[in-house]
Amino acid sequence: EDDDATFTQPSTSQVQRGLEKLTPAQVDQKTAEVVQYFLVKDQKKMPVRRADLVKHVVKDYRNIYPEILKRAARTFDQVFGLKLVEIDPKNKMYILVNNLETPDKASPVSPSNPKMGLLLAILSVIFMKGGVVRESEYLIWNTLRKLRVDPGEKHEEFGDVRKMVTDEFVRQRYLEYVRIPHTEPIEHEFRWGQRADAEVSKAKILEFMGELHEQDPKTWTQQYRQAHSLPNSSQASTSSSSQR
Amino acid sequence: MCLWLNFEKNCVATLGICTNKTSSILTTEAVNRPFLYPVSKTCFRSRTSARVKMKRSKGGGDEEAPRHNGSAGRRKADQQQSDGDEGGSDIGPADLQDDDNDQGLRREIRSKYRDLISSVQQNREDMLSPSNNKLTEVLEEANKLFKDVRQAREAALDAQLLVVATDLGKEKASQLFSEGTAFDPTAFAEHLLSFMGLNRLEDDEDEQQNTANGYLPQDAWHRLARRAECCFRTAPSFHYMMGSFYAEPPPPKQRIERQRKAPSKEAKRIMPTQLKKMEESQQEATEKEVERILGYLKSYYQDDPTSPISYYEFVIDPSSFSRTVENIFHTSFLIRDGLARMYLDEEKLPCIGEMILLCPSQELIDAFDIKDSIIRPPNTQND
Repeated sequence: EDDDATFTQPSTSQVQRGLEKLTPAQVDQKTAEVVQYFLVKDQKKMPVRRADLVKHVVKDYRNIYPEILKRAARTFDQVFGLKLVEIDPKNKMYILVNNLETPDKASPVSPSNPKMGLLLAILSVIFMKGGVVRESEYLIWNTLRKLRVDPGEKHEEFGDVRKMVTDEFVRQRYLEYVRIPHTEPIEHEFRWGQRADAEVSKAKILEFMGELHEQDPKTWTQQYRQAHSLPNSSQASTSSSSQR
Repeated sequence: MCLWLNFEKNCVATLGICTNKTSSILTTEAVNRPFLYPVSKTCFRSRTSARVKMKRSKGGGDEEAPRHNGSAGRRKADQQQSDGDEGGSDIGPADLQDDDNDQGLRREIRSKYRDLISSVQQNREDMLSPSNNKLTEVLEEANKLFKDVRQAREAALDAQLLVVATDLGKEKASQLFSEGTAFDPTAFAEHLLSFMGLNRLEDDEDEQQNTANGYLPQDAWHRLARRAECCFRTAPSFHYMMGSFYAEPPPPKQRIERQRKAPSKEAKRIMPTQLKKMEESQQEATEKEVERILGYLKSYYQDDPTSPISYYEFVIDPSSFSRTVENIFHTSFLIRDGLARMYLDEEKLPCIGEMILLCPSQELIDAFDIKDSIIRPPNTQND
């Protein structure tokens, strides 16, 4: 993060001056490199840190960094139908989410990732329980066990389940697994991560609940209110961090 | 030190206090609530024999006074009257200096605490209702009482009240959230299993424990994942459509090898395989070739002993000049070794024929009466 500490966002005039010294082709090239970097990083769904981006890709063009990022965002939007989202304004981290509406049915062509099924189950439980679940309630682990996924054993499809939930999903920002302060022995709680806030639609989850339980989603009044009241409830905007 | 208080039978709660300091400090100083109440789960679990059942005190003005180890020192004066009071306290002499006024106040405080506790317990349903703030009022009342608390006994009562109140508070809060239908995680899991295609076993007896029965199909999690796609706005992962390229030698290498092997099947090769020559020594190869050519010569003479072979016909390879040269080369060895002879026929054309003799040199010398070599060898001395 040292690079990021020393990286101060150049001013608009600095950017202007920087642009004048470069040819359009050069700027386009650098933009393309940034786009490609993001696309590859997104394969594993790991967020991109500004520090890494500047250090590995932008390099000498850091004086026009805001312009590069702006153009990259436009490329993502117009070419790929993706949205560049800043999920952590403090640490300057970015992810890519789909700009298109969620489909009614899964794509028949691309293969599905079973981990997403597990993630859906976990996110649903957390949401229905008000957004926070203490690990000590064993709610998450017990639900998984009922679904034949034992965190204590190696699962044939998911492998080390505990690690997947508390490490991989957390690094991808789908979940937050935070320590509850002043607890002895140390306890943790599960929350939705910033990526989940940006990618996952609470309304759709409630819809799914309704289908499963054969109930009207409105019967869960509290959750329904949460899912539909806030305009940003299902996705974060590009500039502000997600609301909880 | 762990203090356990078990109040008389109409008090429901059991309270444990964990402190690191001796209780003498508790009794002489105003109790600092946060210090006194890290009421942790470990404390609740580790019940010790220090638990003392409350008994009605005999004499004194105390009604239903809870007794605990911490104030055993204070009650030394009453000890003869108490029965079953388990010993050991660290109370110093300072707390034994109570005057009657203070005692009265202590009793009053304790009594008020007990009233508060019982009101919370008995009016639980009422307090749970979101329409009033009775719980808050109780807590405010407790705060007022707490200002006058000086001893561990009152503090313990305060702690008990807090436990009861927070328990109620927690239930109130969860009730707030479950306005509308409550979310049942067990039912959720059951529905998910069905969604994923669980094949339940048809068995009435096992209906109770049907979570343990049946098996999930192979694609169970994929089914759920596909449903998840409808809820997630995940960016599709970027992959090259044709895959990436391998950094390995391409297959054509094998084809080249095959092409090389095919010509070797032919009897006459245009180019000899260099590898073969390198493996064997030059001499051996030459010898083999010479033998081979001798074989051809012999077989020709076997077929037709009378007809001479034209030398040119024998050595020339019409498709390869270099092969012709080799044939001449090897044939010359045959002649040198006397296994074949060369002569001119009627038309003065060279022919090649067999020699029967194995040791030609001596016979030839006798036949031609060669006394001296015409060509002087370079190293011989002059006579």
